[in-house]
Amino acid sequence: MSTKRIMKEYGECVADTPEGMKINFDENKITKWEVLLDGPDQSVYALPEVLSVSVRQGGHFKLEISFPPEYPFKPPVVSFKTKIYHPNVSNDDKGSMCLGLLRAEEWKPPNKVVAVLRLIQTLLIEPNPDDAIEPSIANDYKENYKEFEKTAKEWVKRYAK
Amino acid sequence: MATAGGAAYVTRGERNIKSIYPELTLDLRNPAAPAASIELLTAPARPLPVVFEPEEAVQRLSYLPPLLLDIVLAEGYPTKRPPILIISTTPQWLPDAVLRKLEKEGETLWEEYGGMQMLFAYISYLQEASESVFGIANQVTDGIVRLPMSMKDALVHVDKKLNKDIFEKGTFDCGICLEPKKGAVCHRMQRCNHVFCVPCLQDFYSNCVKEGDVNSVKCLSPDCGKSGDANVDRRTQERLISPKELLQIPLPLETVQRFVNIKRKKKMEADPSMVFCPRMWCQGAIRSERYPKVTDVSRLDESDDEYDEPSKQEQVEKKDADPDSNAKPPGTPHTDRLVICEDCNLAFCKVCLKAWHGDFIRCKDRERRELTEEEEASLRYILMNTSSCPTCNVPCQKAYGCNHMKCFQCKSHFCYLCGAWLDPGNPYKHFNDPKKKTCYQRLMDGAEGDMMNGEIQFAGRRAAEQQADFWEREVFRMQMEEFDTPTS
Repeated sequence: MSTKRIMKEYGECVADTPEGMKINFDENKITKWEVLLDGPDQSVYALPEVLSVSVRQGGHFKLEISFPPEYPFKPPVVSFKTKIYHPNVSNDDKGSMCLGLLRAEEWKPPNKVVAVLRLIQTLLIEPNPDDAIEPSIANDYKENYKEFEKTAKEWVKRYAK
Repeated sequence: MATAGGAAYVTRGERNIKSIYPELTLDLRNPAAPAASIELLTAPARPLPVVFEPEEAVQRLSYLPPLLLDIVLAEGYPTKRPPILIISTTPQWLPDAVLRKLEKEGETLWEEYGGMQMLFAYISYLQEASESVFGIANQVTDGIVRLPMSMKDALVHVDKKLNKDIFEKGTFDCGICLEPKKGAVCHRMQRCNHVFCVPCLQDFYSNCVKEGDVNSVKCLSPDCGKSGDANVDRRTQERLISPKELLQIPLPLETVQRFVNIKRKKKMEADPSMVFCPRMWCQGAIRSERYPKVTDVSRLDESDDEYDEPSKQEQVEKKDADPDSNAKPPGTPHTDRLVICEDCNLAFCKVCLKAWHGDFIRCKDRERRELTEEEEASLRYILMNTSSCPTCNVPCQKAYGCNHMKCFQCKSHFCYLCGAWLDPGNPYKHFNDPKKKTCYQRLMDGAEGDMMNGEIQFAGRRAAEQQADFWEREVFRMQMEEFDTPTS
């Protein structure tokens, strides 16, 4: 059941990949997707391209989406493999996220991975400091946005090249 | 000769109509006056509210018994005479006046068409008029149509049958397996009309019941409870699916039985006034009006959501309660102590938990019962391997995920490591506060689940448990060492 649905969702994702995203899919291990995500242009997680080089300088984030065996009855698990300074992503080696429809009690089986990916993109543009996994970063974001922006950009330069 | 030619002409016209309405039946036995009949589906644009008198309950019907239109094309149609039209319904739920008016409409139309063929136009007129149920709801002030009780069965049957037939012929995209499925293998939720395929629903609900997570037996649609309208949301999101509907999906009877039993058991266990049978092999609940024993699950149409609010019965009881009852001294009067186990029928005293001793014996609260070895072992296992909710004390074991827990029973947020209550508004603060040494930065510790996982260092109650266990082993080890060391 879950295999069939994951394949189907992958098909849909390929046909209509959200902009700024690439999905690396390993047919031998379909329950773990690697997603390459560009920090959206409107966000602090993008480093604009330099004129002479037509490649983005930074803001490349690697994510892992893993599907539990009970998928779609249980939500997929998202983790940032690239370090990111964000109120909703845990600042440890796991880079986990736990909000909105990613919570087991909020997840409903008709939700799809695409919705999860879109949620992540939205959160990069507009973090949700009121449901933060990292309150200190959330605090920075709310009280001291300049500082937040500076650190976030530094981290992009350092980790997300 | 002229007549025959006329009939042939008419027949051709009818045949044309038949190609438009394949369900039309032709009767050409009388060539001079060919006849035809057609059943027209009556599907109101919006379900028609109907009251079957003397009942008062309003039923909303999506389909009504079809209109039967009999047409006879007498000699002279269409140039000289209008067709003979007879409209009827079985049972006759449309008033005579309405039927005659509809028939008359045919004549008017024939005149408007100036003696041309008008049957197609007439049938489409009837179909269109059927969407507003021929205006019968507009003739009554409250928009509710009143019909005699004798028609109820027939009308409800037609509504159900057509609903089912049309649903089964349709195709639906199941939101769970994402496959298009025929309506015949789908189920439409009674309360919110969301559609899912039967195998997916069976999978999900059976698993919920198996795991004892009965509170998740709700509609799976993400839209349910998200309308923003508190009233609508309560109706859809909060309510569990009724046992009757579960059987219709269908779920196996044993599963539904278990679902009902678990729901009942949870309610009883949450009630501190509830007493259970003292016989070790029984432990049944006592007979009580508040939690009637369920015998036939298929009759349970109520999906109760009393987890969050007192049941109606309770509310009534509170209202009825004697205002002086609070003044009575605490404790159970001797005459109220007799209870009977619903399973083994043992009559016992609910205070001393001994077999019934009569009204006039003084008895005390029973002493804490000595635990058997087996009970002690399971209690110990529970203490070692679960963290309990700080609010309702239900033991929880984490299957996977972070240490921010939400109690499946009372919805409290708590920390899996130390058992502390967490503020639902900001549950993660607990894991990010350097002062909380035991839990600081440990949100994701043991994310793989802690079944038999001795690696995780707990705090609070479980830490004490871990230490006790450690020292017990240590003492045992030291004793063994002493034992092994030969004494001089």
